[in-house]
Amino acid sequence: MNDFIKVSPLKILYKSSYKGLGRGNLGVLMARAGVGKTACLIHIALDKLFHKEKLVHVSLEDVPEKVTSYYNVIFSDLVKALDMEDEYENRLLLDRNRMILAYLNQSFEVRRLRENLKNLIEKIEFIPDSLIVDGLDFEEADREIFEGFKEIAAEFQVEVWFSALSHRHITDVNERGIPYPCSHLDDLLSVIIQLQPTQEGVFLTLLKDHDSEVTPDASVRLDPNTFLATT
Amino acid sequence: MFDKIQNLRNIGISAHIDSGKTTLTERILYYTKKIFAVHEVKGKDGVGATMDSMELEKERGITISSAATYCIWKGHNINIIDTPGHVDFTIEVERSLRVLDGSILVLCAVGGVQSQSITVDRQMNRYRVPRIAFINKCDRSGADPKKVLEQLRQRLNHNAVLMQIPIGLEGDFIGVVDLVAMKAVYFEGPYGEDIKVGEVPSHLIDEASARREELLDVVSMFSDELTEAILEGEVSEELIHEAVRRGTLQRELTPVFVGSAYKNIGVQPVLDAVNRYLPSPMDVENIALDMNNDEKEVILSSDPDDLLVALAFKPEVTPYGQLTYLRIYQGSIKKGDDIINTRNRKKVKVGRLVRMHADEMEEISGTGAGDIVALFGVDCFSGDTFTNSQLSYTMTSMFVPEPVISLSISPKDNKSDTNMAKAINRFVREDPTFRSHVDQESGETIISGMGELHLDIYVERMRREFNAEVDTGMPQVAYREAVSRRAEFDYTHKKQTGGAGQYGRVAGYMEPSEDGVYEFINEIKRGLIPTEYLPSVDKGFQSCLQKGQLIGFPVLGMKVTVNDGKAHSVDSSEMAFTHTAIGAFKQAYKKSKPIILEPIMKVSIECPSEFQGNVMSSVNQRRGMIISAAEDGVFTTVDAEVPLSEMFGYATTLRSLTQGKAEFTMEFSKYSKVPESVAEELKKRLLERSKGG
Repeated sequence: MNDFIKVSPLKILYKSSYKGLGRGNLGVLMARAGVGKTACLIHIALDKLFHKEKLVHVSLEDVPEKVTSYYNVIFSDLVKALDMEDEYENRLLLDRNRMILAYLNQSFEVRRLRENLKNLIEKIEFIPDSLIVDGLDFEEADREIFEGFKEIAAEFQVEVWFSALSHRHITDVNERGIPYPCSHLDDLLSVIIQLQPTQEGVFLTLLKDHDSEVTPDASVRLDPNTFLATT
Repeated sequence: MFDKIQNLRNIGISAHIDSGKTTLTERILYYTKKIFAVHEVKGKDGVGATMDSMELEKERGITISSAATYCIWKGHNINIIDTPGHVDFTIEVERSLRVLDGSILVLCAVGGVQSQSITVDRQMNRYRVPRIAFINKCDRSGADPKKVLEQLRQRLNHNAVLMQIPIGLEGDFIGVVDLVAMKAVYFEGPYGEDIKVGEVPSHLIDEASARREELLDVVSMFSDELTEAILEGEVSEELIHEAVRRGTLQRELTPVFVGSAYKNIGVQPVLDAVNRYLPSPMDVENIALDMNNDEKEVILSSDPDDLLVALAFKPEVTPYGQLTYLRIYQGSIKKGDDIINTRNRKKVKVGRLVRMHADEMEEISGTGAGDIVALFGVDCFSGDTFTNSQLSYTMTSMFVPEPVISLSISPKDNKSDTNMAKAINRFVREDPTFRSHVDQESGETIISGMGELHLDIYVERMRREFNAEVDTGMPQVAYREAVSRRAEFDYTHKKQTGGAGQYGRVAGYMEPSEDGVYEFINEIKRGLIPTEYLPSVDKGFQSCLQKGQLIGFPVLGMKVTVNDGKAHSVDSSEMAFTHTAIGAFKQAYKKSKPIILEPIMKVSIECPSEFQGNVMSSVNQRRGMIISAAEDGVFTTVDAEVPLSEMFGYATTLRSLTQGKAEFTMEFSKYSKVPESVAEELKKRLLERSKGG
């Protein structure tokens, strides 16, 4: 699956100081509505899966069938875009190493997630390397939830990736230049990347890189149809 | 004959087991005056519900075989097919949905959208059946219709909208507020037959107004007239009904009703909704295939004066002979007509024509397009199409899943032997997912079906209805074999035993086929094998697929390419080339590294969340792959893929793991390669069994 890894949107992190998010840390993908947050988040998940890591996709909105179909659609597009030969093996890799945990009708609690992760590890020996969290409302969620996730990241030694919805009309940034709605969570987040459509194309830009200064060229141009890196 | 096709409804009542659909049907029959007393499914009077006509159904409190019935409500003729809720009987559900125009999806106000509801809903989507939903059991402790509405939206992806809200809940549930008329409706009298309409209780005015706003907002999408009326503040009930009907027919809206069939609350409004919102046969486009025109699709007319096209969707054997349920799509049928079975072009005379009402019947002289009736004395299979002599149409075949489990059965005595054969002959006609064959090596009769319960019911029926006592073996999974890599063959069949000899040579290769079906490719050049012998070569290979050489199970998905060969002017024959192909198969098969495939089931387990870990562990121990776990309130649904061979006795395990609070459904998903370690064990076991047998 090296073909994918070469063009994965997570290539952006090669430009970060640690070349990645790192276990125990929280990362955020920010974008405005309709830009392709979920698709890009699933690309991040696929990057992890194709690195043979185990991944838990935590959905706070969609039923598992819908999450699975997102993966299937994006995977099928990848098969076409990359002219993938080992489709069957890669699909198996994806199915075996991905677990979907959905919390419907506001039934999410950090406590439940912790119990479920323990179950996965103790009962079926599924030891996750990363968590993808989709559908968490950054504007409504209490800070405690993020603190809970930070504890989970440390306790289970996983990377946790979120998606966050930003707004065109809210331009507030904190003193370090981190925009709303991540500005008040800056201390808990290690990496923030932003997906932004411009006239020149869709760009993924590194906004926060652990404790290091972000280099000015820290952005990757993405194909607007496949979300694969073109630069 | 009914008056107008516009006033005809063919509906199904489908849902999860135990959500009360048989009780709902019973009440419908009572209110439409088809029955004059109400008997509960597991009632103390021991009579059982009217629709559960088979003795076994009454005993187990579940509906096994779809019973058809009809009734009249406010000038509309309604044919109702009651359908089973257990997944093992899904073919019954599939068969019903094929011939229905609309359906009532019954959901339990406590249990909500459960795994079987999802399966049934998927089937309804497959046959594009518009539906209305009825949230039943609002009188039960823990009833939460709003939660069920959300589940309908979220888990089944329905654009569901409440047409009513409950007045009270659980023990205090006494009626409903009709959000279209903005009136309270109460159901009085011993069986709720006296409907009293009143003002909306003051404590519900705000909620009812908000829900009505939501209703108008959603349904106005289907009617510009309604949108205008809303803007002008002059919304009539007719405009709302019309918009709801449009949305429902387009399958873009699911109107939701609430009630308790058991407590006689809210059933009549559901009947009104069937008339108002579900389609008449004229609203549905039905397609047949013209066998005389290269199976070209033909849209049927729903015109009773047109030429007849009818589908036999359920043959059933009764003490009076075969009874065949028939849906008439086009034209009319009457006593004494000659009709043709498109499958075998056999002419059949229509003798007795009846309308069914569970196990009672009413004789009729004829009926027309759109109707569902039953014929007596017509010998046919499920899925056969009947036309008059001028047409050769066939309805598109129904989706029939392959059986995944088999069981050896043997009669206990001579009398049972004859009766067992009779029983099997009947079941095979009634149910396309029930199959039977005699194992050539062991001489045992093998029956196959969709699950343990499915076969269990048939064995029980043999005993009760046919007086056939049988012993059963251990359930056997329907394994398959497949080649895993390309292997060459070059085989010469030569036999000279006096008289004309046998000679043939074929060469080529076999390899896995990508789409999983058998394919024969002829690459013979210069007539090395004469064209007339090639079908025999194909036939020879195909005959080998019945029984693979690895474990003796059928071989799936193989592509055979023949590119060389030789024939003899005197000694070659069709038979010689069939034998040559068989020899070639044997020569190459082992070289093609055959693998064993096993049926993998999609399993969905619902349990209180505290048991999630135990349930996952139990799936994992069964070589299952957990795909997801979804928490919704205090319940969790675990979806997994598990080999069928590991699922025997799982119901018992699950019960003990979860204090009986979990349930599961499973359906066939795919065939997958058996892991090496398991395959070795399996080969040994099957070898021992064949030696022993």
